[in-house]
Amino acid sequence: MARIIVVTSGKGGVGKTTSSAAIGLGLALKGNKVVLIDFDIGLRNLDLIMGCERRVVYDFVNVINGEATLNQALIKDKRVSSLSILPASQTRDKDALNKENVGKVLEDLGKLYDYIICDSPAGIEAGAMMALYYADEAIVTTNPEVSSVRDSDRILGMLASRSRRAELGLEPIKEHLLLTRYSPKRVEEGEMLSVEDVEDILSIPLLGVIPESQAVLKASNAGEPVILDTESDAGKAYQDVVDRLLGETVDFRFLVAEKKGIFSRIFGG
Amino acid sequence: MAVASIEFKGTSFTLSVLHLKTSNLAAIRADLVSKVAQAPDFFYLVPILVNIEKLDVSIDYQAVKTLIEELNFTFVGFTGSVTNEQRKLIRKFGFSFVNTTKVNTSQKVTTLEKVVTAKTDIIVEVPQRPLYTDKVHRGQIRSGQQVYAKDQNLVVIGSVSAGAEVIADGNIHVYGSLRGRAIAGAQGHHKAQIYCQKLEAELVSINGNYWLSESMEQHWGLPVYIHLTDSELTSSKLI
Repeated sequence: MARIIVVTSGKGGVGKTTSSAAIGLGLALKGNKVVLIDFDIGLRNLDLIMGCERRVVYDFVNVINGEATLNQALIKDKRVSSLSILPASQTRDKDALNKENVGKVLEDLGKLYDYIICDSPAGIEAGAMMALYYADEAIVTTNPEVSSVRDSDRILGMLASRSRRAELGLEPIKEHLLLTRYSPKRVEEGEMLSVEDVEDILSIPLLGVIPESQAVLKASNAGEPVILDTESDAGKAYQDVVDRLLGETVDFRFLVAEKKGIFSRIFGG
Repeated sequence: MAVASIEFKGTSFTLSVLHLKTSNLAAIRADLVSKVAQAPDFFYLVPILVNIEKLDVSIDYQAVKTLIEELNFTFVGFTGSVTNEQRKLIRKFGFSFVNTTKVNTSQKVTTLEKVVTAKTDIIVEVPQRPLYTDKVHRGQIRSGQQVYAKDQNLVVIGSVSAGAEVIADGNIHVYGSLRGRAIAGAQGHHKAQIYCQKLEAELVSINGNYWLSESMEQHWGLPVYIHLTDSELTSSKLI
């Protein structure tokens, strides 16, 4: 049975889609069969980040409504053959999804793939609830600032009460904390919450810390998930996240600001 | 036999008690008549007990009963904090005596004998404040969640997040950080208390008296309990 992982946050703009794309591609590169589903109906972005926006013919809503088969709607990634994308509809809204039909689609996908990554829309309304309802695991994407942390806390409450696992009284959703846009320098200057602060408030296990990086924006615009940029800190950090998801123990990197070299210290550079 | 024809059950009633301050029956009659005249329907056949603890042993119990019944009350019996001898006497005359646990404090101090008597009384159905049981919540209470322990104490094994709300009619114990709102004694209970391992709350309230974060500066971030002293919230360090 496939592992259904929802990438969620509550707050918008914290890096859910970037993380979904990077983690999905990373898992596929490790030889797993992965499907990425864009649940953000009406605000389709995942196809852009994955660089397959010109190949969208049918979408998730078409499949839900029986207007297309799964095979017609799934887009195979050109870089890794074991990765597929199920894009969202751009012309519909989030009410187009309902629990029964989404459950049916996930069940069908579960027979074909090892990992189903659900890229959740922001907010706590129907769309976000639909994305997390069937999840086995949740990657709670959080920026190190108070409003993002509070929204993540709210979503964690939803995961514990509004999911299928909660309703059926099954083992709760496994929660992971993914801290994105982390800047150790600003933490040291007291402008940003530290990893410890966020862990203390949310008290869920840390899956990864992605440093703030120019590479992320570049990767998004190019439609190349940042994990492919193996030179960048962000790319390396996402690789660590994938390894941890696969059960490996990997030390956390990029948590402290780089020390200035002796020359720059002397000459104030 | 499956069904018994009778069954004994304990029940408490509210009964009117007539406190006699004098043994002068004529004076009692005059006052009672004027009292009844104010609301004859209300007093008609009302069951009453007669409290005689302020009177001498020598009063005429039968005359008191007759007087009460003449004025259309239903006489139930005598009551009051009296000596064992007096009680035996009353029962010997064929009247019922209803024990009371209420002891007049001034008498308690002055007449030792009466105190001893009162203490040996068998306690009959003392009305008490309900003893609260515990509602236990395991795990963190997240922003937007609300947990209410109705008629109970609330025990949270975990933290209460900012934006979450915990409410109890009894006490609140948080084995973690209290960052949200905590409302103890919600239905009115001035002895309710709030305990937490780390005080960082948005609001705490006991019996309607509340504090916002700014009032907690003294013990901010510390393990404390919060209680009421003379309607004023007070926080004290736990360790």
